[in-house]
Amino acid sequence: MTPSSFFKRSRTSMPCLSMRAIRSVVLASVVLASVGLANVGLANVAHASIAFGPKASFATAAKTPPKQLHRRPGNPLVTTAPTTTTTVAATSPVSELLVAGASDLRPAFEEIGKIFTAQTGTKVTFSFGSSGQLAQQISNGAPFDVFASADKSYIDQVLADGIGDAATKATYAFGRLALWIPSRTQKRLFNVLDLSDPSIRRIAIANPEHAPYGSAAVQALKSAKIYELVSDKLVYGENVSDTYRLATSGNADAALVSLSLVIANSNGGQYVVIPSDAHTPLEQALVVTAKKPRSASAKAFIAMVSSTAGRSVMLKYGFLLPGDPKPLGNNG
Amino acid sequence: MDWFPLWLSLRVAATSTVFAAIIGITLAYLLAKGKFPGRGILEAIATLPIVLPPTVLGYYLLVTLGVRSPIGRAWQSAFGHTLVFTPTAAIVAASVSAMPFVLRTARAAIEAVDPRFEQAARTIGLSEWRVAAQVTLPLARRGLLAGIALGFARALGDFGVTVMLAGNIPGRTQTMPVAVYDAVQAGNNHRASTMSALLGLIALVVLVAVNRLTCATRLEQP
Repeated sequence: MTPSSFFKRSRTSMPCLSMRAIRSVVLASVVLASVGLANVGLANVAHASIAFGPKASFATAAKTPPKQLHRRPGNPLVTTAPTTTTTVAATSPVSELLVAGASDLRPAFEEIGKIFTAQTGTKVTFSFGSSGQLAQQISNGAPFDVFASADKSYIDQVLADGIGDAATKATYAFGRLALWIPSRTQKRLFNVLDLSDPSIRRIAIANPEHAPYGSAAVQALKSAKIYELVSDKLVYGENVSDTYRLATSGNADAALVSLSLVIANSNGGQYVVIPSDAHTPLEQALVVTAKKPRSASAKAFIAMVSSTAGRSVMLKYGFLLPGDPKPLGNNG
Repeated sequence: MDWFPLWLSLRVAATSTVFAAIIGITLAYLLAKGKFPGRGILEAIATLPIVLPPTVLGYYLLVTLGVRSPIGRAWQSAFGHTLVFTPTAAIVAASVSAMPFVLRTARAAIEAVDPRFEQAARTIGLSEWRVAAQVTLPLARRGLLAGIALGFARALGDFGVTVMLAGNIPGRTQTMPVAVYDAVQAGNNHRASTMSALLGLIALVVLVAVNRLTCATRLEQP
């Protein structure tokens, strides 16, 4: 077969779409688009109706009745809400809380969220990212009810932008840094100083510009006096979980990440806890960013974080808690 | 497996394709046929979303439409909620990133139409509007559809602009690409690979459709 005959054959064997086929595809996408427009346009109204609607009546304990039901006057979905909610005396004003959390909180907060939902009936949806990015989103109008940062400075930043209830600002934990290496690195005993070893070619840390664990990692390397030796090996993750993924996927030979992520899933590697005096304390603070009537539920959630149940979850994932005696840093 | 991201992505992509198609084809026609001052600048601005890093584009949009901007404040007083970090913001993000792809493909298709057909239509006294609607655009239809399909694929795959403007809120603004990112972050590789495979499959189907549409254009031209 000559090349030219091959091309001719391929063209005839792959016939072009007929205009009729195209017309039906276009029709289908127009239908989908109009459904999409209708749905997305209604999404915010629908959210209001979910938040205050009949579903909320299944929720159990709550102290405050819904105050602001008429966000969209005239909408039948929303106006039916008062009748259903007033018949059930104790009803949670919101059925879903939106919590913005620093990446190191993912394992611990997902557990606390489940406990919270079991106790109050309020669903908790988390959006995890680096504290700096989340603060930026909140300042730009992201609809989060609670902001739990890995560093208290971002809480102050949000408050300075006029968002959040300063009275609810609280330190809920101190983050701990861990050095993780994969099992393939075959080191039995290791500490931060081993990072200068030539077998370690890339060290993942979170971006120190906007991730608190990243600047803590840089400080830890500096206090071990090996920062200059290893600075060429550093690769940045966007946040701690991204950083950990860089190492667990085999693209970095070591990672300095939050102890919580390593405890949640050590991915078959080894880790040592970095002494907490090697960096300025990762004082993790949170604040309620919701407005009334959602703030009551948001306050209930932050109360849960510092409740006995919440504290035991935080301890399990290696956080130090305010008011607890600081255990000595172990160096492996 | 939570199918919300797929459903949201399809809705957002379909809706933003409609916007991108209307704006993109209008601009494509203007740029292909019109002679007016500032044409070069308009073309450059309209193509910018292809060249700019999605995060930069997302940042510009966030600044333009955010709560501190006049547009954002007007939206908030009109609708009672912010524009950013809602599904609507995801539509805006996807529309902006998809539009230039529609524009470029459509413009090439419009320019490829033999001007003699248009001149013939003018000689029988058709207005410029009717020449466009009854001669040029119908002749360029396959190219226009290819551009729309390409725009749909781009809208479906947008990550950077969407995550800046609409955020990553599960069940609200988390589209497929954002959900893939979130699943990888959470270490949930199973979920990430399932969704990636699905997105890849959809993109492949769209691209095959684009290929067939463009080959048809070539065959049809005299």
